[in-house]
Amino acid sequence: MRYKFGSKCLISPAPLAGIERWKPVARPRQAAIAGVYTTKQGKLPDRTSFSLQLEAIKGALDDAGIPIEEVDGIIPMSMSDHLPGTTAHQFWANQLGERPLGLMEVGGASGALAKAALAIENGMCEVVVLFYGKAGSLVGPRGTAMPDRAPRVPDWSFYQSGAYMTTWYALWAQRYMHEFGVTHADLAEVAVFTRHHATLNPDSIMGRKGDITVEDVLNSRPICEPLNLLDCSLDNDGGYAIVMTSVERARSGKKEPVLVLGGAESTYTDFYVTINDPWFPEEGKAVRRATERAFGIAGIQHDDIDVAGLYDCFTITTIRDLEEMGFCKLGEGADYVKEGHCSLGGKMPTNTDGGLLSNSHAGDPAGMHTIEVVRQLRGECGERQVPGAKLGVSLQQGWAVHGMAGVLVMATE
Amino acid sequence: MTYLKPLPQIEPRNKEFWDGLAAGEFRVPKCDDCGHYNWVPYPACRSCLSENQTWTPVSRDATVWSFSLVHRGPGAFNDDVPYAVVLAKLAEEPRSCIVLGNTVGIDPNDLYIGMPLRIVFEEIPGEDVTVFRFAAADAAEPDDADAALNVENQPATVA
Ligand SMILES: [Zn+2]
Repeated sequence: MRYKFGSKCLISPAPLAGIERWKPVARPRQAAIAGVYTTKQGKLPDRTSFSLQLEAIKGALDDAGIPIEEVDGIIPMSMSDHLPGTTAHQFWANQLGERPLGLMEVGGASGALAKAALAIENGMCEVVVLFYGKAGSLVGPRGTAMPDRAPRVPDWSFYQSGAYMTTWYALWAQRYMHEFGVTHADLAEVAVFTRHHATLNPDSIMGRKGDITVEDVLNSRPICEPLNLLDCSLDNDGGYAIVMTSVERARSGKKEPVLVLGGAESTYTDFYVTINDPWFPEEGKAVRRATERAFGIAGIQHDDIDVAGLYDCFTITTIRDLEEMGFCKLGEGADYVKEGHCSLGGKMPTNTDGGLLSNSHAGDPAGMHTIEVVRQLRGECGERQVPGAKLGVSLQQGWAVHGMAGVLVMATE
Repeated sequence: MTYLKPLPQIEPRNKEFWDGLAAGEFRVPKCDDCGHYNWVPYPACRSCLSENQTWTPVSRDATVWSFSLVHRGPGAFNDDVPYAVVLAKLAEEPRSCIVLGNTVGIDPNDLYIGMPLRIVFEEIPGEDVTVFRFAAADAAEPDDADAALNVENQPATVA
């Protein structure tokens, strides 16, 4: 056998306080990200979701230098729209060559990748590919046609009230601003620094439009108050994929392996239906739990992190990410941003590709933050490179605003 | 004018609620064992996991817990913009019941967190559904709720 199964588990998730500095824990073997790929992002009227997914799978495997025949685990991030009654997992298991797969995982990208790493570390599978692609439909209400009679939707669905995801984040922002005395101008700072990062990313959708100011955000047209257009992520087509394998296999590939030091996921609520009072408890919710577990497993502390990819579907999201993850205190997320810590040159450059606000949001962008962190750790980021980046973290979140979360901690060898 | 906004699928598990609206009641499952109200309805109480819950009319008193003015809505809501979506916290305790819905008769610019609300009802013509809206708590209770609340079927606009 090439590796020993873990007879002694040295991984014990611990509270953040008192953790030793970054020191990877002993494990049966080490998982690593070997390949990443993003298709063109934007309006792609000539593409299908399927072809974007296939391009992404092939592209990430090529980046890794691993042939498709070695793939024995899949994490499809899209629903199957190919064969009625077939799950995406069944469809792709067959499409990729009818070879037996050892892992078929679901969930948000960072959390699913954390579980894939455990599967690889413990010998359940060898090469896992996470992939997504979407073309030709929109997430926001631009994509909603006028019906000719009242459609019927599930009983407590927000669609009955003309609400949609943006509305939920707006409700979250309104309550947050009320409780902590934060202003819209404070939230807008997130859009400003991520746009600047996008201007340094030639592949970003909004970078060519140049920098924006807080005033620009405040003067952009309202979508769901208090959120304006420039508080909202993009709504475009695109695809991406991530390949994970053992560090041994990754080393014989094309690129420097990016180690997966640990990860975790957490969820506590349903899909944009319910919420409880308080919305901002001191003890935190899903993002806090996933972060504490992931940092505990990886054996890192906040100050160790060189670069971060934090989910930023709206300006409010990043502010809350920073607080829930423990980079600052409750109510002080905007201050953290204003102090420049998230900007290139700051202590933890965040969303260096321009994020979902200014780089791309293609429907389920859950893997995009991880891909940018991988590129940073490889030193591939050109003008927006964080010098000497060795340790990075990605956070993916979703559902009824911070209702589910996945955190992944990555490092250079 | 035909009502084109999404309406609920009424099924055996939720029929009591929608029947309640038609009868002028906002019914919430109340746990027979621990006494907690549960919103949105789930098959068992979230506090104690008891399946013994009874649809119980609540006071209809609520306050604005959060709100948003929607300027860009799905197609059927285009004529209403900007319209208000509120999260309203029901008076019932201890488990918080936070209900998402539209307002009626309130200028969206007058909304504030903590504003007292009252649940009112609106029958949808040509459909088998009565829906709920949030009105200002101090708004006059109309003699004929149907007539007053069916104003052009535009619950979110300024009445
Ligand atoms: Zn109970």
